[in-house]
Amino acid sequence: MDPANTPLGRMLLDEITPVVMVLHTQLVEESSMKNGLSFVQMLSPFANFDNIDVPVRTASDQPYRLQKFKLRLFSASDIRQPNLEVAKERLQQVITEAGEKDFSELCLDPPQIDNVLGSSESEILPSWFQYFDKELVRTLSFSDHEAFDHPVACLLAVSSKDEQPINRFVDLFDTDKLPSLLNDGAMDPKILKYYLLVHDNQDGPPEKSTKILTEMRNTFGPNDCQLLCINSSQDGQIEHQNNPWASYKTDATSSQHPGCFLDMDDFNEIKDFMQELSSTHIIPYMEQKIRVLNQQVSATRKGFRNQIKNLWWRKGKEETLDAPNGQMYTFSSIESQIRMLGDYAFMLRDYELALSNYRLISTDYKIDKAWKRYAGVQEMMGLTYFMLDQSRKDAEYCMENAFNTYLKAGSSGQQNVTRCGLWWVEMLKARDQYKEAATVYFRICGEEPLHSAVMLEQASYCYLFSRPPMLHKYGFHLVLSGDRYKKCDQVKHAIRTYRIAVSVYKGTSWSHIKDHVHFHIGEWYAFLGMYDVAVTHMLEVLICGHQAKATQELFLRDFLEIVQKTGKIFKVLKLQLPVVNLSSLKVIFEDHRTYASPAAVSVRESLWHSLEEDMIPSFSSARTNWLELQSKVIPKQYKESHICVAGEAIKVDIEFKNPLQISIFVSNVSLICELSAKSDDMNSDASDLTTEVHNDEHHNVLSASGDVISDGSSFTLSKVDFSLGGGELILVQLSVTPKVEGILKIVGVRWKLSNSVVGYHNFESNLVTKKIMKGRKKAKNSSNNNMKFMVIKSLPKLDGFIHPLPEKAYTGDLRNLVLELRNQSEFPVKNLKMKISNPRFLLIGNPEELNLEFPACLEKKTNIERSSGHANPNNAPHSVYQFPEDIKVQGETPLLWPLWFRAAVPGHISMYVSIYYEVGDMSSIMRYRLLRMRYNLQVLPSLDVSFQISPRPSRLKEFLVCMDVVNKTSSGSFQLHQLSSVGHQWEISLLQPADTSFPSLFAGQALSCFFTLKNCGKSLVSDDKVSSLYPVLESDVRLSPQNSNDVLFYVDSSPLADFHNCERLHQGVSLKEDPSTVDLILISRSQKSNSVVSEPQHLYSHHSCHCSITSSRPVSWLVEGPRIVHHNFSVSFCEINLRMTMCNSSDATVSVQIDTFDHPCSNGQLIDTTAPQSAVSSGNQVGWHEEPQAEDIKVTSEVLASPVEKPLSLESVPPFIWSGSSCTRIQLDPISTAEIPLKICVFSPRTYDVSNYVLNWNLLPLNDQENKKERRQSSGICHGYPYYITVLQSP
Amino acid sequence: MMATTACFIIVSRNDIPIYEAEVGSAAKREDAAQLHQFILHAALDIVQDLAWTTSAMFLKAIDRFNDLVVSVYVTAGHTRLMLLHDSRNDDGIKSFFQEVHELYIKTLLNPIYLPGSRITSSHFDTKVRALARKYL
Repeated sequence: MDPANTPLGRMLLDEITPVVMVLHTQLVEESSMKNGLSFVQMLSPFANFDNIDVPVRTASDQPYRLQKFKLRLFSASDIRQPNLEVAKERLQQVITEAGEKDFSELCLDPPQIDNVLGSSESEILPSWFQYFDKELVRTLSFSDHEAFDHPVACLLAVSSKDEQPINRFVDLFDTDKLPSLLNDGAMDPKILKYYLLVHDNQDGPPEKSTKILTEMRNTFGPNDCQLLCINSSQDGQIEHQNNPWASYKTDATSSQHPGCFLDMDDFNEIKDFMQELSSTHIIPYMEQKIRVLNQQVSATRKGFRNQIKNLWWRKGKEETLDAPNGQMYTFSSIESQIRMLGDYAFMLRDYELALSNYRLISTDYKIDKAWKRYAGVQEMMGLTYFMLDQSRKDAEYCMENAFNTYLKAGSSGQQNVTRCGLWWVEMLKARDQYKEAATVYFRICGEEPLHSAVMLEQASYCYLFSRPPMLHKYGFHLVLSGDRYKKCDQVKHAIRTYRIAVSVYKGTSWSHIKDHVHFHIGEWYAFLGMYDVAVTHMLEVLICGHQAKATQELFLRDFLEIVQKTGKIFKVLKLQLPVVNLSSLKVIFEDHRTYASPAAVSVRESLWHSLEEDMIPSFSSARTNWLELQSKVIPKQYKESHICVAGEAIKVDIEFKNPLQISIFVSNVSLICELSAKSDDMNSDASDLTTEVHNDEHHNVLSASGDVISDGSSFTLSKVDFSLGGGELILVQLSVTPKVEGILKIVGVRWKLSNSVVGYHNFESNLVTKKIMKGRKKAKNSSNNNMKFMVIKSLPKLDGFIHPLPEKAYTGDLRNLVLELRNQSEFPVKNLKMKISNPRFLLIGNPEELNLEFPACLEKKTNIERSSGHANPNNAPHSVYQFPEDIKVQGETPLLWPLWFRAAVPGHISMYVSIYYEVGDMSSIMRYRLLRMRYNLQVLPSLDVSFQISPRPSRLKEFLVCMDVVNKTSSGSFQLHQLSSVGHQWEISLLQPADTSFPSLFAGQALSCFFTLKNCGKSLVSDDKVSSLYPVLESDVRLSPQNSNDVLFYVDSSPLADFHNCERLHQGVSLKEDPSTVDLILISRSQKSNSVVSEPQHLYSHHSCHCSITSSRPVSWLVEGPRIVHHNFSVSFCEINLRMTMCNSSDATVSVQIDTFDHPCSNGQLIDTTAPQSAVSSGNQVGWHEEPQAEDIKVTSEVLASPVEKPLSLESVPPFIWSGSSCTRIQLDPISTAEIPLKICVFSPRTYDVSNYVLNWNLLPLNDQENKKERRQSSGICHGYPYYITVLQSP
Repeated sequence: MMATTACFIIVSRNDIPIYEAEVGSAAKREDAAQLHQFILHAALDIVQDLAWTTSAMFLKAIDRFNDLVVSVYVTAGHTRLMLLHDSRNDDGIKSFFQEVHELYIKTLLNPIYLPGSRITSSHFDTKVRALARKYL
């Protein structure tokens, strides 16, 4: 690539060209001003030659031709170092104007970064960059350390109207008025002069002028004078095509075209004049100067001797002179001349010559420590290398060297640094080293913000243009530049850069970056009053959970401020504050399934199904019934949508989360719904209907986007306000209540943030699988239908609740409750059915129990005939309770129905109650509805009751009952009230004297007490009969203090008996009464509290069912007979008849063999051998009496057993004799008794112990019960009880 | 000696920051976090260039902004551990990177951790901070 064609090359060819100083009189200026141009401006366009084609010969003998050439014309007053402040102001103005110009497009959306990458350099780069750079370079014009700005020639122009033009020429070149450069010795004041006489043709024919010209030629030499005629046109209407002065137009008044008095002749004349000036005067002059200087330099500096001499001389000078800015070099000094030689050669494109001279001088300056000059030379060397297109490394090295040297020179060098940097950048750019160019740009951004802003922006573009594009850097530098622009109040530029940065950082997950960019551009847009755009950007920073709290506050505050300034309410789709948790979305609606409480909603549908199975009409028939009807009514596409009832709310649970650490206020949270009302024309075919619905929908979409609440004629929405603290989560329930039939669609949710921004969120737009709680499974496949509901006309609906159901109760707590059902509509509902999931806890009472006082209604009233049998037929467990046919619920009157509650077992209990009812109105789609209730309750353990029953020895059908009660509560205390046995064959009484009173049981206390239980038989007789036959049977024992007037409770009446049945069912298997078991109910009351508030005393019942009375021994017996016998032994021995009643308590046939022993020894032997066995059996069988001992001293049980019996056996040394057979065998049927006569003979008066007999019993297994009985002992031996008979000698 | 300013960040192969920590001893400035992110984010371009020119994982100081230096360590999976610091301690930084790399690999081995997702483990965080105190 030709370096001259690169931007830098063009710039150098443009900027480093010979300068011509123009001196002119006032009249010349006036003439040219007629055209709206100054004299310099008028000539300038013609100083640029594209094809001058001049042969040039510099130092070498080889001539070359110069094609392009340019002269820079400056009027003498401009030849001075420009005022920095003025330049700065001009630059700022340029930037401001550029900002205004570009601003119109800033309101648009930021460009796509892909588009930016695709477009070419010139499209993206703002055009004013080039101008800006050029201006920056120009601030350094006419510096004294460089020679290329020094005028090469001087053009003196005098008007023909001037008086004494010759003198004027002389006066013009008055050294006092000349620029300081020429005066202070920086350059040679003896420069080429050229004299121009300007004639204005409007002032008359040029005859006079030619005369003056001749005079001039005589005075100043024939070749250096020229006449220029201008303003030949009289009317000033000339318009030039491709007007060369077009760029100066701004200076002229708008009515005038620049150069309007210059016709073609003038035009050509100026052109020819300039061509001549450069080709015949300036270029030859420069050639000559180069040759002269080169000779001088060669003479003084070239060659080995000169170099040594130079070095020596400079060394010496170094010690003497150490000026901070280096010494002043005058034009006559050899250094200045070498520099000038280099610059002239550079301007005439003899780069080799220029380079060699620059090299020569650079070492000199370096040794002299003239850093600024050194840097300047280095800079030129770099440029020369570049123009030579040689050694890139050298070029860059020189530029860097120059750059650093300028930097070292301190603040005064800042301008130089900038210019050097810009040239360097251009050099790098020309070689596609954009990345390096960017770093240079970065290095030249100085302190001043505006300057550095532009530099940084240019740097950013360099990153963009580098291959591959470095977008990260691009964005970063744009942001840096934007910040600088903002610093110097160039907001529009700041926005421009940030706007591009936004597109660069689009979708970034670098949160701080995103926040920074959006926040600032938002702020700036707001600063300019463009609040709408500002808001869109501010929205992006709202989710700033990662920021510090103060920043979050700032963001939110600014956002709200801006929103308020817009003066309108913003609607923002998917506003992220607060965050809507779509996965938490839960829709609750009621079709034929209605719910009494939210708790009932969350129950699994299958659970309800299993509960309601028996209750709802058989599925297939019901379905054909109303589905047929439905298919007529519902258009096909809505068949799968859910059904809801007009007037009944659909509830939507949704979670809002505050992602920030600060609290936010959210108000007016409501659903967005569309309800397309069904047309009245139900008979039109389905297709018509669908289109109509569709239209309606459209209409409603529009109205919904306006204000939903005003749409409230067809549905009403609930509104919720809440304030969310930092990081809080809130679950909000929203509801919509359709009022008319049709299709209701829940579109989304809307809310208002801090009363200024409306956010809304559409449910459909997000494809998160929604959790529709009650949706039919069929409908779940399409998410669209999930939120669509078919609204059917309003139906009666039952509300129901049970009161006062406690949330916490102690086990055994017995209460009566009331079920209240209300139907708000005027249509009656009928055919009510109810099912309860936990019959152990909740039972259905009888309506007459409603007004009874509890617990008084349970008390035993001797005189009153009981109202009902003990089992309420309603409460057959697991069955559906059908309310009486005539019950209808309607209007204001609620249906009250008693329920009995008993906390059966401890734990967390959920009770489900489902009530079925039919709607009276037959025209409806739904025939029946269900009311589902759920109650949760916590049951705490209270009393732990356990019973141990063992047969009472030596008593037939009597048992000892040990009751252990432990209070397991933490604080409650209980007063035992009564213990009842269930069934009429049992009689129970305290073992202790009847006046024993039991203290109340405090927390943690335990109590044991003993009862005797007596079987009165007749168990198989019907209860009613029994009760009438034995009305005074004592099946209850009072445990409460006697003095209290508490009455015993009747356990056989409705609630207790029913609960007891449930308990039986739960604890055992069958309802059948098993004679070998007994059911016991302990009733206790809560201890009366001392507090004034009279809390109703709670009643607790504890049911123990199937307490087995059977022991391992199926037989029990009783020996009866006289205790004292008077007999006259002198007559004969005495025969005593005894009777043994034997009872088989097992359900198998038992064969019993009674062995009697006459001999004491054999008896003793037998005892010896069987002692351990009996001991064991006593432990097992005798019951609680000996239990502790048996446990404690098992080993000594033999010792314990033998003293009981051995002395007796010893005592009975003179034995009695069993008369009759010594062995009797009988068979006892299950649950039967038999009497066996026994007889003994005694021979002397004394006391006898009739215990030396053994019962060998043997179970006869029944076929069907074989398995069951296996675990039981199948045979065994029992020893006789001691039975004492005292025989006295009768007188 | 601990660096007064240091910002450590792990960038996934998709240029998403998956772990960020200000580990400098200097008082935390409000706007420092975003500047650090900007610098590190911009340095990604340089990493992109350099990562393929060397087989070493530790790329040393690759970029600078004023007196803040960016050092980078590129793992085999092209996850970049980037440290912005103002101290010159190449050896310490290298050791720091190597140990964090090990920690990162341990995190990757966690079957619940999805590679490329944010590292939220507090254990990881404490370990990294401890390493920063030790080496930087």
